[in-house]
Amino acid sequence: MKAYEFMRRDLTSVELETTVVHVIYLLHQSGLDSLPVVDEDGRVVGIISERDLIRALLPGYVDMLQSTAFLPSLDQLGRKLHEIGGKPIAEFMVREVIAARPDDSDLHLADLLIRKGLKQIPVLDDENRLVGVVRRIDLLHRLRR
Amino acid sequence: MILTVTLNPTLDKFYWVDALPLSLDQPEEAILIRATRSLTSAGGKGINVSTVLAAHGVETVALGFLAGHTGQIILQDLLSRGVTANFVWMPGENRTNVTVIAKGREYHPLLIHEEGPPVLEEALGIFLRKYERMVRRADYVVLGGAIPSGCPLDCYRTLVRIAHAAGARVVVHAGGEPLAHTIEEGPFLLKPDVRAELQLGGMPVGTAEEIVRAGKKVVEQGVGVCLISHHVTGDILVTRDGVWEFEARVPLTTFKNLVGADDALVGGLLVALLRGEGLVEAVRYGMAAAVATAEVEEKLCLDEAAIRRELAHVAVRQRGDG
Repeated sequence: MKAYEFMRRDLTSVELETTVVHVIYLLHQSGLDSLPVVDEDGRVVGIISERDLIRALLPGYVDMLQSTAFLPSLDQLGRKLHEIGGKPIAEFMVREVIAARPDDSDLHLADLLIRKGLKQIPVLDDENRLVGVVRRIDLLHRLRR
Repeated sequence: MILTVTLNPTLDKFYWVDALPLSLDQPEEAILIRATRSLTSAGGKGINVSTVLAAHGVETVALGFLAGHTGQIILQDLLSRGVTANFVWMPGENRTNVTVIAKGREYHPLLIHEEGPPVLEEALGIFLRKYERMVRRADYVVLGGAIPSGCPLDCYRTLVRIAHAAGARVVVHAGGEPLAHTIEEGPFLLKPDVRAELQLGGMPVGTAEEIVRAGKKVVEQGVGVCLISHHVTGDILVTRDGVWEFEARVPLTTFKNLVGADDALVGGLLVALLRGEGLVEAVRYGMAAAVATAEVEEKLCLDEAAIRRELAHVAVRQRGDG
């Protein structure tokens, strides 16, 4: 089965200038794990995920030590969010977009999701415009039938 | 691709009851009405048109504003029907419109309509940028329904202008002032909603003659064609080349739910146009879709075979005064 046959046709996305707090609001509203970032022509130029936002909020030493054990409290994260909340998401997004094409097979998508440890993959057309999203749960749901 | 805009989406909730009390006014005790059946679906004119298009295999993207838990339900329903959704999320809660249909009184239902959340300036800005990006991919744009508070009353005019600049044809499926503002931009098709007010651009449209006069006036002003419902089973199409009268020859007693019929008409018409039908034949298919829709309890009839069967009942004649 091809991606276009079972992808979720939800084009929820954000712009390069969208603020960090608005992205958090959208992730909460949409129930998605990440959102594509589009330029003014609608081309996907990045991805912003919960993981990227958490990384942006954590102090640098946490990344270095690869442990949150030294984190004194969540207040520090709250203060950091207050500090960066108004900044554009372009500063925090991942620019290397792992994406699928509408004609990609379900097997190829499953391989990508597992190999890259992703929860969802955007599906892009020939001009890199968003046409859908495939989530891990969409594949599982399909296998259930 | 056909882009539809629904600025004030709704969750349509239908209840079927055996009977409604003769009067709901000044009851002496609480009124309990038991429903024998209920249905829920995403709604609003643009969304309904998209639903019809998707059921016919036409690529369609629905745009507008979603909010809250009701917005989540609207989104899930649309996605499950094969409609591509590209909405702006905003604070608040989308409206729920309730229709109570009593046996034997199918075309006089009890309607309870909510107002919907106000659109904030930031959300409107995001919507306009999204619209500008999406309209470049569209062959047709359908602007449907009422304008929510927070959006300027002339915002459809802005949307028509942007669509024309991108080379898309526009169908305005709305009523009152929002529709009137678009006339000077010359949209491809006007489908005035005359339920609340029997007027178009300040002219009365109560009789067939008035409809023809008002239709000709807006066509002179630059509108491509104008399609106006004359009565439950009749529509009049006014174009530069003539005036056509469509009549569905079906007994009114076969109608079960009229709520989505007008939207099925617009959706069906666009399906036929994309298939290469001429305008008059496309309106006939739209009328057949509307009749098939009115004959089922669900808000929209999405069964193409049922629509095709109704084609035999839709008559068309060119009016002499066209």
